Amino acid sequence: MRGLQLPLSQTQRIRLQRALEKLQSLSCKANSDASVTVADTIPVNYEDAFLKGHGTTDLNGDLVATVCGVVERINKLVYVRALRARYKPEVGDIVVGRVVEVSQKRWRLEINFSLDAILMLSSMNMPDGIQRRRTALDELNMRGIFEENDVVCAEVRNFQHDGSLQLQARSQKYGKLEKGQLLIVDPYLVKKSKQHFHHLEQFGIDLILGRNGFIWVGEHVEARDSMVVDQANSSEQSMVPEEKSQTHTPLEMRQNICRISNAVRVLSALGFSIDSDLILETVELSSTVKIDIHDMLGSEFHVLVAEREAERRSLMGKRKR
Amino acid sequence: MVGLSVGEKHFIQGGIAQDLRSDGRKRLTYRPIYVETGVIPQAHGSARVRLGATDVIASVKAELGKPSALQPDKGKIAIYVDCSPTAAPMFEGRGGEELSTELSVALQRCLLGGKSGAGAGIDPTSLVVVEGKVCWDLYIDGLVISSDGNLLDALAAAIKAALSNTGIPKVDVAAETTSDEQPEVNISDEEFLQFDTSGIPVIVTLTKVGRHYIVDATSEEESQMSSAVSISVNRKGHICGLTKRGGVGLDPSIILDMISVAKHVSEQLINKLDSEIAAAEASEEES
Repeated sequence: MRGLQLPLSQTQRIRLQRALEKLQSLSCKANSDASVTVADTIPVNYEDAFLKGHGTTDLNGDLVATVCGVVERINKLVYVRALRARYKPEVGDIVVGRVVEVSQKRWRLEINFSLDAILMLSSMNMPDGIQRRRTALDELNMRGIFEENDVVCAEVRNFQHDGSLQLQARSQKYGKLEKGQLLIVDPYLVKKSKQHFHHLEQFGIDLILGRNGFIWVGEHVEARDSMVVDQANSSEQSMVPEEKSQTHTPLEMRQNICRISNAVRVLSALGFSIDSDLILETVELSSTVKIDIHDMLGSEFHVLVAEREAERRSLMGKRKR
Repeated sequence: MVGLSVGEKHFIQGGIAQDLRSDGRKRLTYRPIYVETGVIPQAHGSARVRLGATDVIASVKAELGKPSALQPDKGKIAIYVDCSPTAAPMFEGRGGEELSTELSVALQRCLLGGKSGAGAGIDPTSLVVVEGKVCWDLYIDGLVISSDGNLLDALAAAIKAALSNTGIPKVDVAAETTSDEQPEVNISDEEFLQFDTSGIPVIVTLTKVGRHYIVDATSEEESQMSSAVSISVNRKGHICGLTKRGGVGLDPSIILDMISVAKHVSEQLINKLDSEIAAAEASEEES
């Protein structure tokens, strides 16, 4: 929270502190020793054998954390999962990435992992939708599908033996993302859930929460057939770029996109985990208090969101009990 | 610098055309500006200014020196800007030098006036201790910590804040000196003189994207610019300097239009900046 640097007035500071204390008191009851900072001792049962994992060290017989994060225990292994770290992919995760290179039979994607991820041409759905071997012609037309700097949505397929990551996009819902903006948040804020593609019908907007912290907010695309542009189509598009640039996103839609994006920005600045419900709630809050879209990034709205979240979590806690 | 896909570029350009930019701002709205003063204890004055993710520090160091023979009644002021490699990988090694020089020159032009020192935002005559013999040399250094566009405006604001934070030690000159000798001086470490910063201009950069121009562009928006005009305006609404970047030419009528817009925007910016500086100084005294 010390990372949050906002010009707060005296009353705002007190309100924010109160909200954060409330949040902390709520989370502390569950597992107080789960989150550690550097030099915190990690309680372990010394009678049992245990393995020191990442982010831990032995200091005078105590197990001590060397990074800030959450203690994870898997059988004997005790390690600390750092929060502000690069994304650690898991097979099946939905990620959003940016193409950095088009090379032979593959695209390289930046996904905030320690290596670039690889999307093979063979793990893509072909434009004509037919299952077949990829020919040399397909390889030549790769830029017709994705170019450098394109934003692409895909799924983590598997790890190679050398540690590099393979992606796949074998469905209509994956593919190129256009008409919107990409937001980058800390990966730990996006939790794994059943649904990472959200079509917010009331706004007509697609929200894709990539597990790597890349969040896409854009215009809703029906059926997502356009991701795979076939040859005739792409040549047609290149002929009329002027005409295309006239069709901007409608203003109302753009307002919604900006409102949702700013909601995500506020939540990530406050360090709240980001899911679609919370985003929608924040958007609703912003509309009910009739705040201007840009003023959502001001201090007052940050305080308001923190208070609301504290209230919500305390209510949830009561309901459970 | 920033890689953007065609769709995103299109989205940004569309937003500017529709007067609703990616973060919900209008074309002529600044991001919230945040000022912190007294960040470097060794300097005579320093300030940190943040505009969104753009983060710069300016420091002012004063040193006793000798005025140049051509201008015996004026002190010397030097402005240098450095781009930290932490801001962007491209600033590593010598990568940031070109941008640093560009920013330094633009700031010198906007703040120091002509070669003779006339029309300078900081009055160089106020830096003289003994005419022709002793004067203060001001070294103003800017450091770019994090870059998200609009560095020039942020640096100018930081320099303004740093100068209003600056205290120049009071100097007593020994009375009996012959005309040739260098007079003996006694620097007081208790009494400080404040600068008059009311005349220091702010810089408003208007970035032209498509048919429209915007203030306070983020680096994504800057990647779409055709040209940018930086106009420094003082409190009276007078233009103190003007620089243009970017390869594409501008119609003279557009420049005139931009100037009047910059003048209008600068009023709000100066007021906002002044209140932020006052708040920052108040909170510094508190702590």
